[in-house]
Amino acid sequence: MRISTIAFANLRRRKGKALFLASGISIGIGTAVALLSLSGSLREEIGSQLDRFGANIVVTPHSDSLALDYGGISVSGVSFDQHQLSNEDAAGILRIPYRKRLSVVAPKLLGTVEVAGRKTLIAGVDFASELRLKKWWRLNGRAPESATEVLLGYDIARAVSAIEALPGTSGAADQGTAHHSAAPDVFRVTRERVTVGGREHRIAGVIGQTGGPEDRMVFAQLGQVQDLLGRPGQLSVIEVSALCKDCPVEDMVAQIRKELPHANVSAIQQSVRARTEAVDRLTQFSMVVSVVVLAIGALMIFTTMMSAVVERTKEIGVLRAIGFRRTHIIKGLMIEVVIISAVGGVAGWFGGLVASRLALPYFTEAGAQIELRVSLAAFAIAVAMLTGIISSIYPVMRASRLDPSEAVRYV
Amino acid sequence: MREESLAFVAVENVSKTYSDQDSSGGVQVLRDVSVEIAEGEFVCLMGPSGSGKSTLLTILGAMNHPSEGRLVIDGIDVYALSDERRADFRLQYLGFVFQQHHLMPYLNAIENVMLPLATLKLAGIEKRRRALDVLEKVGLGDKASRLPSQLSGGEQGRLAIARALVNDPPLLLADEPTGTLDTKTGDEIMKVFLDLNSLGQTIFMVSHNPANAALVHRVLHIRDGEFEATSDKKDARTVTRLSPAL
Repeated sequence: MRISTIAFANLRRRKGKALFLASGISIGIGTAVALLSLSGSLREEIGSQLDRFGANIVVTPHSDSLALDYGGISVSGVSFDQHQLSNEDAAGILRIPYRKRLSVVAPKLLGTVEVAGRKTLIAGVDFASELRLKKWWRLNGRAPESATEVLLGYDIARAVSAIEALPGTSGAADQGTAHHSAAPDVFRVTRERVTVGGREHRIAGVIGQTGGPEDRMVFAQLGQVQDLLGRPGQLSVIEVSALCKDCPVEDMVAQIRKELPHANVSAIQQSVRARTEAVDRLTQFSMVVSVVVLAIGALMIFTTMMSAVVERTKEIGVLRAIGFRRTHIIKGLMIEVVIISAVGGVAGWFGGLVASRLALPYFTEAGAQIELRVSLAAFAIAVAMLTGIISSIYPVMRASRLDPSEAVRYV
Repeated sequence: MREESLAFVAVENVSKTYSDQDSSGGVQVLRDVSVEIAEGEFVCLMGPSGSGKSTLLTILGAMNHPSEGRLVIDGIDVYALSDERRADFRLQYLGFVFQQHHLMPYLNAIENVMLPLATLKLAGIEKRRRALDVLEKVGLGDKASRLPSQLSGGEQGRLAIARALVNDPPLLLADEPTGTLDTKTGDEIMKVFLDLNSLGQTIFMVSHNPANAALVHRVLHIRDGEFEATSDKKDARTVTRLSPAL
């Protein structure tokens, strides 16, 4: 027989009331867990989208001359800018303190060349980096493996008659329109070679239609383009992909700026900022709703405990009369509260997870998942217990202060 | 705080006034009461309703601070102790048998008896052994696992006595222990008290029943917060002094 034995016996005796209290807490905790899990998953999804978006930091030379556009980013004119980037700058980026968070550093040189008699934007790239960055590219063929090979954008390939639609595919029907995407399996490459910058190159592959600027570009190995454009060692832009879920992009930008003081370094955040703000608002809303629901749960515990103290006045008086200290009374009641709260917390966490899993498909794309986070479980149980304890302090203290001589006479 | 005293229990000039909104001075229920009880004595307190019996009992039970005067038990000025120390004192020195028994309905007989031991740092097996010993003493050794609701009125009374005895208290206090029982069951309970007293247990009992009073060493009569008279039915083992009559 210990004080805890009395507490457990009381819980067994008042199962209904204990379950009522536990369910009140579990509803509060469940709501909080469900909302926080949902907003957490939405945040994760945004992180994934950001990764799919490709580069999140772009390094360009300082220049007043803005002549070309690439990927929605204005790139300095290749012929007139004063401060060129170089291969050494790309290597410099890998020296920043946050270098371990860098996923891809993709240097490129942009310029214009004649392709089959028409002026075309050409990009010299490191294909290993570029293909890691441009995960949405779908190649018909392969990436160039030598200096004499090129990769053509879809529109250029069509313009130089390097591809033709496969019969019976949607690509055939789309001939003549550039507004519909053409997957690489709806056309075939019909031409082996093309003249780029006055030199014959082998067409290694064609990029399926993306709807982006690459449709109108030619890609070749960086060294080859530097040679074609007569700009050895020079770069026009360096795209950087950082592991960006909650990463300090602004700090990374600052570090790259410090490393490359002659360059413009900017983070591409605008496209996701609006959605991030929406999730932030959802998170704030979740917190507010959680607090309100928990406050209601706390109020329920408070009133139930107050009535329990009144109901158990005589019992408490007897315990005090036979030698229980105030602290013993507090301990016994608090054990009950902690057990009820912990059960409510566990049930709430589990219920919240189930609810968030059921609700997730309505908020996110297919494939998004609710993670089983130990920290969230621990947080839920801790908050449940804290809520139970705080809301019981006054009733329990009041119980401990009962005058035993009055309490034993209480009817 | 230990004091010099001849008696085991000394109630010294105790008065008790309860505050009352209707009267500015409050309601005085005990007036300068003094009494001494020797070790091994069985004392019965009788008096009409509202005479101050229960107040005196709760003061003796270290639960009700007197407005004036003091209570000394075994040389300890009980109300000079802090609230928590007084709780310890109750556990160590007092056993309380309530009129309604006040057994915990959700605990079985042995758990009810072990209740006062719950706060002690004793091994569970030792607590159980003590509880079984005292259950045997009151004749309930074979009903240790029964809930109070499964016991008769007399058995519940004996169980309440067992709970009061399990901490081996020097002073047993009983508040009309036979008040709600039929004559036969009441006699059964009184026999337990007398058996305990014959083994040296000091008992202070409040009762309305003259038949019970006839069985004890000494009867105190109280009216309007003052002792009226005393009657020694048996050989008193110590000097009894009443106040304010004396």
